[in-house]
Amino acid sequence: MAGFATKRLGKELSKINSNSLPPGIELVSADNFEEWFLDIRVLDNNPLYLNEIYRLKFRFSAQYPIEPPEVTFVKLADRPIPIHPHIYSNGIICLDLLGQQGWSPVQNVESVCMSLQSMLTGNSRNERPAGDEEFVRANRLRPKDIDFYYDDNNV
Amino acid sequence: MEVEVSDSTDWLGTPLASLKSVEEALRCHVCKDFFTTPMLTSCSHTFCSLCIRRCLTADSKCPLCRKTVDLSKLRGNGALREAVEAFRGVRDSILKFARTPTPALPISPKRKATDVDNSDDEFQESKRPRRSTRNRKAREPQASSQLTIEDSEGDLQDDNDGEDEYVPEPTASRSITSALRSPSKRPPAAAAKAPERLPTLQYSMVKDQALRKIMRELGLSTAGNRTMLEARHREWLTLWNANCDSANPKTRGALFQDLQVWERTIGTMAPTSSKAASTGAQIKDKDFDGGAWAAKHDSSFKDLIANARRSRQIAEQKAREAAAEEAAKQEASSSVPQPSVPKTSTPSTAESAPLPQTPVLPVQPPPHPSYSHPERWQHQPQPTHYQQP
Repeated sequence: MAGFATKRLGKELSKINSNSLPPGIELVSADNFEEWFLDIRVLDNNPLYLNEIYRLKFRFSAQYPIEPPEVTFVKLADRPIPIHPHIYSNGIICLDLLGQQGWSPVQNVESVCMSLQSMLTGNSRNERPAGDEEFVRANRLRPKDIDFYYDDNNV
Repeated sequence: MEVEVSDSTDWLGTPLASLKSVEEALRCHVCKDFFTTPMLTSCSHTFCSLCIRRCLTADSKCPLCRKTVDLSKLRGNGALREAVEAFRGVRDSILKFARTPTPALPISPKRKATDVDNSDDEFQESKRPRRSTRNRKAREPQASSQLTIEDSEGDLQDDNDGEDEYVPEPTASRSITSALRSPSKRPPAAAAKAPERLPTLQYSMVKDQALRKIMRELGLSTAGNRTMLEARHREWLTLWNANCDSANPKTRGALFQDLQVWERTIGTMAPTSSKAASTGAQIKDKDFDGGAWAAKHDSSFKDLIANARRSRQIAEQKAREAAAEEAAKQEASSSVPQPSVPKTSTPSTAESAPLPQTPVLPVQPPPHPSYSHPERWQHQPQPTHYQQP
């Protein structure tokens, strides 16, 4: 019994395994079709992210790719949360393409990673989003239940 | 269920690596599989019928260009369907051919004469044994490495192709030629009795009863709450109408099986309303976020626990009193109201029945306190960055 999400993820995995990902993106684990981990790093010399590697967690629902995956940064000893005006210090990412409106089923794990890569590369502001502390302390919602308000087209 | 684990990257590492882009063009951007019943949108993009119908049901925009697309404007893309069928028909043999390792020795004089530019010749009636696209320089050592992965259902597809046998050249090219021919001989499917497409419903305009009736008439289950009914009906419409687009429609029974898959993977996970009936399903849902739920309703749970403790104390107290005072006077007075617990036992039984000996665990607390506190849903602190638009 395989739903369409399983089929599609199987294909993505097979492609990743045979074709390897673009530079700066690495698959860490994909033991099931619900949760994958990937590492990304930026490729240029942006001082904010130099020599750092970041761990991403993807969670897929049975509706993937009709619904977006839940993508967050994970904090580990050697995997910090990148500083960015749209990334909260608990790893939650405010990015329109991960929301219901911005998502399109033609996106995939690789394209999401590349978007995040370029989101970091293009950033020069060494800051967290406004209200980060309050949000990190108070938020009990899953990322997909949060009403993000995408107001900033510059970063 | 047919599960394909093949991928366009299968061509990489073979001398025919350029076929990767050909194959990519024949695959749907949503499911990444070969097009099944390709449909053209009004913005001239093509997807599998089922894929685009699912996408548009969720959000009526083209997944590729985000233009608004109307479900009823989809048109079949027959030429592409035939191209996909033809390519799929020959894919295995070409791949096998491409993966066949070239013996290092001896180099036959024939091969030296290979003419790289004439790749068209393979598709022509040619008696000469040619291996035009075989460019020995492009051949890489990993040609026979395993390029397929095991699918969740355990299907393994021709993993070892190309490793076992060496197919002599003339035979191989002839078999490809014939394979190229065969699928086109198939006559266009004569639609004996084309099934009729089902109309979409404006769910907000249909009352519960009417929806149930419609679904019963379609032979669909009416289990679940309203949201579930709508989701199931929507999925059935998608499956049914996609099947109507198909050149080789499945039987109704096969469609019901597809719906069953949906029921198991998604049906029980349909977003549920906050009505009591659905809350149970929501909590049993494997996607249910227990931590968040516990945090969100923390104070409700604490209230309930406090209430439970209090009414248990009261019950114990009553039991003691009852034992001491020996029954006589006070059936009515002993029924201490249990103040804060909503809808505990009905007052009549509390008043009339003799006190139970065992400390009553007051009321099973309603399993999901949330629905008595609907306001808690809305009062989540929102980060300032995130006001509702």
